[in-house]
Order: sequence, then structure tokens, then C-alpha cells
Amino acid sequence: MLAPLVLCTLSLTLVPIGQTIVLSLSRRTTGELPVLDNYRAIVGADQFGEALFNTIFLTLVGLSLELLVGLVIAHIMSREFRGRRLLQAVLLVPMGVPTLVSAINMTYIFGSVGYLNELLYRLGLIRVPIDWAGGGVVTLLTIVVADMWKVTPLVILVLLAGLESIPRNLYEACAVDGASSWQRFRRITLPLLKPSITMIMVLRAIDAFRIFDLPLVLAGRNTPVLATYAFYEYNAYNNAHASAAASTILMGVIAVFVLCYLLVVERRDGGS
Amino acid sequence: MRRRDTGEVLGTVAAFPAAFAFMLFMLVPVLIMVKVSLSGPEDIFTQHPPFLIHHATLDHWREIIAAGGIRAPFQRSLVVATGTTVLALLVAAPGAYVISRMPRKWRYPVLVSLFLTRMFPEVGIALAVAVNFIRWNMLDTDLGLILAHLIGALPFIAWILVGTFETIPVELEEAAKTDGCGRVAVLRRVILPLSLSGVAVACIFTWLWSWNEFTYALYLSLSRNTLPLETYYYLGRGSLFNAATYSTILTLPVFLVTFTLQKYLRSGYLTGAVKG
Repeated sequence: MLAPLVLCTLSLTLVPIGQTIVLSLSRRTTGELPVLDNYRAIVGADQFGEALFNTIFLTLVGLSLELLVGLVIAHIMSREFRGRRLLQAVLLVPMGVPTLVSAINMTYIFGSVGYLNELLYRLGLIRVPIDWAGGGVVTLLTIVVADMWKVTPLVILVLLAGLESIPRNLYEACAVDGASSWQRFRRITLPLLKPSITMIMVLRAIDAFRIFDLPLVLAGRNTPVLATYAFYEYNAYNNAHASAAASTILMGVIAVFVLCYLLVVERRDGGS
Repeated sequence: MRRRDTGEVLGTVAAFPAAFAFMLFMLVPVLIMVKVSLSGPEDIFTQHPPFLIHHATLDHWREIIAAGGIRAPFQRSLVVATGTTVLALLVAAPGAYVISRMPRKWRYPVLVSLFLTRMFPEVGIALAVAVNFIRWNMLDTDLGLILAHLIGALPFIAWILVGTFETIPVELEEAAKTDGCGRVAVLRRVILPLSLSGVAVACIFTWLWSWNEFTYALYLSLSRNTLPLETYYYLGRGSLFNAATYSTILTLPVFLVTFTLQKYLRSGYLTGAVKG
């Protein structure tokens, strides 16, 4: 009874992945195997380096901010306060909005006559509208904000579940011993929260490397990431081989990241 | 009473503004979407858009419904999402049941290896699928897109179903067997009724996943758009109002379901559904 599930999952995933790798290694004109032409061609292209940099930048900055905001809000929510239930309900809003739609919503905010420019203008902070989609770090940051909007609630929920599983009396014992709140956070909360942090960060990193809809809608071809680069190679330039090579590199980046994370972070802190 | 240090005081004082700011951040984009879909052109095509609706109108909604352009993509999304859910359930339910009855040390490796398929980038999978479908003449077909959606849906529905079946104690099954139930009767009389709500939740989330799915649809459709694709193309053509109205229509079912089922939104389930 297990067979259909395993066979379907593997054949529907691994077979196409294998085909993509073969495609990336075959010559575009003759189909000769194996050659590195496609890799050589895209590594030489300007946009590819940019896409690689953008992908890594988005992942690092996005994850750091999501973890930071997630920790702060989860910490606030782990205590009783007025409006806690409201905040809990509001957290569900981004989960009820498709990623594509959240990207579109962000275009209303970050458009050149969008609402953020208008707000900044009314506050007297800018006089000329900022071109958020023009490229460079500014555009990357808009993508980070869009991604944060969509996924921070999930980070919060996972961290909150982790926080709530830490026994209260540990904190009380520590407070009696005279530990400051920072020390309590450093010595109790962080170590005990680590499994939750690891889980959500690995999951988030995998999704962040693969990010596709948000940059496609918010930045288009100006600011490529690896996934949109692969898409444009196929869709706009009709070059499936280059697209396959870019996808394979993206796969490699993800695999290297996951292995490094598990080996370095888990092993270093494994004993403590 | 022990002394409160600065960190603690800061935490208490800053907590409320921080929570409030975060709440605003979560709500504003959605409010803007609804606002654009209800605003007259005067409110949008201006150098300085107002923050409130000055010229409310239902024209965009009326136009979209009257033009009938929404019917085809709506129907395609509906067929694909429903087909994906039914197929995914048929394939995954028996497997998930078997996994849930495995010894614990086997269960997690199997689940994680299923889940690791999510590590592969969708653009990599979709590319090969698209190349195959061109050869087999399957682009734009509902069946093709359903098969592609199974790639994402299977690990996800299996993850939830295993969680559901796990909660049913094996002892119950054994008791039923001692009372003379056969294997099929055990499944029908014990497992099915007890897992029904979990199965329903799994189906609904799978349905929503397929309803929202964008990447595979983009690679595998030429002229028959799904609802998300149609929304994307309106945005590309610069029809702000259409994009906002379509977005609202696309969001409504997801929104309603998410709030109705919020008590089932456990973090364990959600990790599979991070990306809408």
C-alpha cells in the first residue's frame, strides 16, 4: 500500500530532476553528452552572477530579519496582554493570501506612485518619488519585505510553540538566582529554542533559495534571482538547456547550504 | 519583589508598540488590495493617491463579472484543484496509513525523505515536465497540470495524513479485530470515522495549495490560464483594477477557509504549506 505514494512521489520528482540535469549537460545543437557548454555560457553571462548574488542576498537578509522579528513577536505573544487574541487572528491574514496576490499587493505599496512613496511624501521625508523597482539593493529590499509579510507569521507560530514548551519554573529559578532578563534569554530561551529555530530556518532557507513568484512580479528581469533567471532563459530566450543548467546550479546551492548547516551548526552545538 | 532590570522594563514598554506596528504591517497590504478594487480611477491614477476611498465604486467587480472573462480560468482552477485533491488523496492515504503504523524509528526517515523532495527547485522540475509535455502534446490540458500539482501536493498531504492516522491508537484496531472485524471492516468502521476530520482538513489544504499554485501553471499553460495566471497577466498588462479585483476573488476562498479552520493550523501541518 506504500508503493503508490513512494513511487509517485519519486517518479514525479526525481525523474524530471534527472532529465533536467541531463538536459543541462547536453549540447544545445547536437544533443551530445556530456558537455559543460551550457554552464560555461551562463556563468559568463552578466545576469547570472547578479542572479546568484541576489538569491544569496535575499536569503541571508530575509532570514535574518524574519528570525529577528519572529523572535521579538513570539516573545511578546508568549505573555498575556490585551489584544493577544487579536494579534493571533491577524497572524493568519498572510496565510490566507496567495503568494502571488501578496506580490501584487506589494506593487501597490512600492509602485512609483504607490502608497509608501505617498506616505513618505506626506511626512515630508522625500520630494521626488523613489523608484523601488529600479533595481539594486532597494528592489531586493522590497522583495525581502514582501517575503517577510508572507512568511513571518509562520516563523512566529513555530517559535511560539517552541517558547511555550519551555517550563516556566526554569525562568523563575534563574530570576531568583539574580540573572538579568538578557542572561535568561541567552542562557535559557535560546538554547532550548534551538530545535525550533533550526527547523524553521532550514525550511525557510530552502524556500528562500527557490523564491520565484515574488521577484517575478516585483522586479521582473531587472533584478533576477536564480529561479526567475532559469524561467526567463526558458520562456523568453527559448533556451531550455541554459535554464536546466541554472536550475541545476540552484539545486546545488540548496544542497550545499543544507549540508553545511546541518554539519556545522548542529555539530558545534550538538553537545551543549 | 525582585528588582526589574532595564531589559525587562524595555520589554514591557516596547511590547505594545511593537505588536501594534507588526499588526499594521500584516493588515495594510490586504486593505490596500480591497481598496484598489473598490476605488474609482480618480483615486488611483494620480500623483498622490489618497489613503482612504474618495470615489467608491463597484464598477470593476461589475465589469469583470459581466465580461465573463473570469469564467474559463475559474473553471480551470476549480477542475485542477479538485482533481489534484482527489488523486492525491487516493494515492497518499494508503501509504500514509502504512507509514503511521511503522515503528517510530522508521516512520520519520520515510516522512523526511518524502519531504526532502521539496528541496528541489520547482523551476527545475517544471522545466523537464514542460519539455515532456510539449512532446506528448499535453500542455494546457487539465490532466497534465493535475499530474504536475501532485508533485507538490503528495508530500504535503501525506505529511498531514500521517499525523492524523498516528493519533488513532493501534489498540482500537486490535480490539475491533478481537471482536471479529476483518481488515476491511477495521478500516471502514474504526479508521475512517476517526480520521474523517483530519482527512477533510488535509483535502482542503491540498485543494487550496493547488488553487494558489503559480509556477507549474506558468510553465505548463499556453492559452488556458488558471486564476493566478490570469491575475498575473492582468498585472503585466497594467490593468491595476482588474489585477486587484482578480486578486480579491482569488483570495476570498483561501481567506474564508483559513479562518474557519484556524484551530487545525498547527505548526506541524503548516510547515508543509509555507508557500501558498
